[in-house]
Amino acid sequence: MRVLVAVKLTYDINQLKFEKDGTPLLDACPRVMGEADKCALEEAVKLKDAGKAEEVTVLTIGSSKEHQRILKDAYAMGATKAVMVKVDDPDSLSALSVARIISSYAEKTGPYDLILLGSGAGDTHSSVVGPMVASLLGVPLLANADRVSVENGSVTIVSTLEDGQYKFTSKMPAVVTVTSEANEPRIPTIRDILRSKKKPIDETTPEELGAHVSKINIESIIKYEVPRKRVKIDATDNVEEAVEKLIKALEEEGVI
Amino acid sequence: MAPVIVYSEEESWGKQLLTAAKGLGDPVLFTFNRNVAEKLSGMYTRTYYVKTDSFDPVAISGALRDVVNKESATILLFPCTNKGRMIAGLTSGALGFEAITDAVSVVKTGEGLEVEKLTFGGNAMAKVKAGDKASVCIVSGSYKETEEAGSTGELVEIEAKAGSVEVEYSPRKMEGVDPTKADVVVGAGRGVKKKEDLEMIKELASLLGGAWSVTRPLAADYGWADSWIGISGLVISPKLYIAIGISGQPHHTMGVRGAKIIVAINNDESAPIFEEADYGVIGDLYKVVPVLIKKLKERKQQ
Repeated sequence: MRVLVAVKLTYDINQLKFEKDGTPLLDACPRVMGEADKCALEEAVKLKDAGKAEEVTVLTIGSSKEHQRILKDAYAMGATKAVMVKVDDPDSLSALSVARIISSYAEKTGPYDLILLGSGAGDTHSSVVGPMVASLLGVPLLANADRVSVENGSVTIVSTLEDGQYKFTSKMPAVVTVTSEANEPRIPTIRDILRSKKKPIDETTPEELGAHVSKINIESIIKYEVPRKRVKIDATDNVEEAVEKLIKALEEEGVI
Repeated sequence: MAPVIVYSEEESWGKQLLTAAKGLGDPVLFTFNRNVAEKLSGMYTRTYYVKTDSFDPVAISGALRDVVNKESATILLFPCTNKGRMIAGLTSGALGFEAITDAVSVVKTGEGLEVEKLTFGGNAMAKVKAGDKASVCIVSGSYKETEEAGSTGELVEIEAKAGSVEVEYSPRKMEGVDPTKADVVVGAGRGVKKKEDLEMIKELASLLGGAWSVTRPLAADYGWADSWIGISGLVISPKLYIAIGISGQPHHTMGVRGAKIIVAINNDESAPIFEEADYGVIGDLYKVVPVLIKKLKERKQQ
């Protein structure tokens, strides 16, 4: 079977800092392959290791050196082909545009039996791209997989949603989105990393794929300060007194 | 007024999104929960109830798409939950709508929708123009619930076409109260060292007549609970949330932003959770929580 995995170069939001005026310092923020995307790739490579998948193509949208780097990382993990869809400012693409690029690529170079994505990007975490790709391709969606298994042309996932656990099964082709709980992505060996450096990266563009894209119109983006009271109560020495203070405050708030 | 379609499978969400929808057009409800349909049909202009035996996102989204086309709607509102995002993505993809998630406000302007949304794990707020055809997933607590009945809406029953996905569902096993419905929620994080220590978390929750839950690592990595609070798990909006031994990773705090009052108990003064808290108790949870339990018991007896 043939597997396509879409990965995003994401900001490591735990390391995001802001200017005094609230502007995010994005240039200074490290970027990595999305955590859940990496788990999606790991699932694909596991299928290859098990002899179930022959081809694992990894696609990313962007044109920077860092986009190249995550594709090389994907090779080091075991991808068989890497593709860069060249867009200068991929972060400004709308979710629908990203989905159109992925689905156009899948249609042009497919058919793929399985299309895997992370269940949400590490930074924007919209979780809508996978479902959109499924719709655009007209194939079943199995989303938020904490576990994935592929057997006899069918794929089954286990997904934890708000109201409980779901087991979804469908025939392939299908789109599956994978959470960061699904697995522990492998750490490539030095040998795999060195080998990956020589592997080719295919390039294409949204125009070549015939994907209609549009930019999302972001008017402003600033640090968000949650409107909280931030009253500190020191309980390092006198716990009794601190707890009394807390209970009194909660009574005054009318929440206990 | 042009119709605005609200997707909801829960009463509380149906009432919150109704408030948001009223500012944008004529509210129309789409639900596959009969209870919600019956309870809220008096508040919406029209209600579509989809009969379906299981949550197959593709089948449900297909039925929603038919309703959108029938109503010629261009604005769809969803809860910002895992299920809401799924249906929003599927429906938008099929209709060629944009989808904006994590929204806290939606306004209609001459140039289309203007949405304020959280991004970068809730650390930043962005203002975006979403065009005139969009699905918007709204964060819990952004809009107050509409309480009064406003219309004598008709209730339309439709059937979902059978999907191609087989669905097996096991309801969340809940010890005690459901955190998404409780007025008080006590959450435990990695500061809680052993599974047995969850007992004091549960005791505190039950003293306050509330629910308890945990952060993702405690559920997903240690297996101490079946669900967790956070953007990938349960999104809660209680009156009071008490975060115990929780450092405050963005993916957790995004799930509790809807709480009216947040208390954090943590011994690390620099933990990000204190930025998110109304009352930050700096101290060892193993000393603070037992005293809190003791004092609350005394208070109860008074």
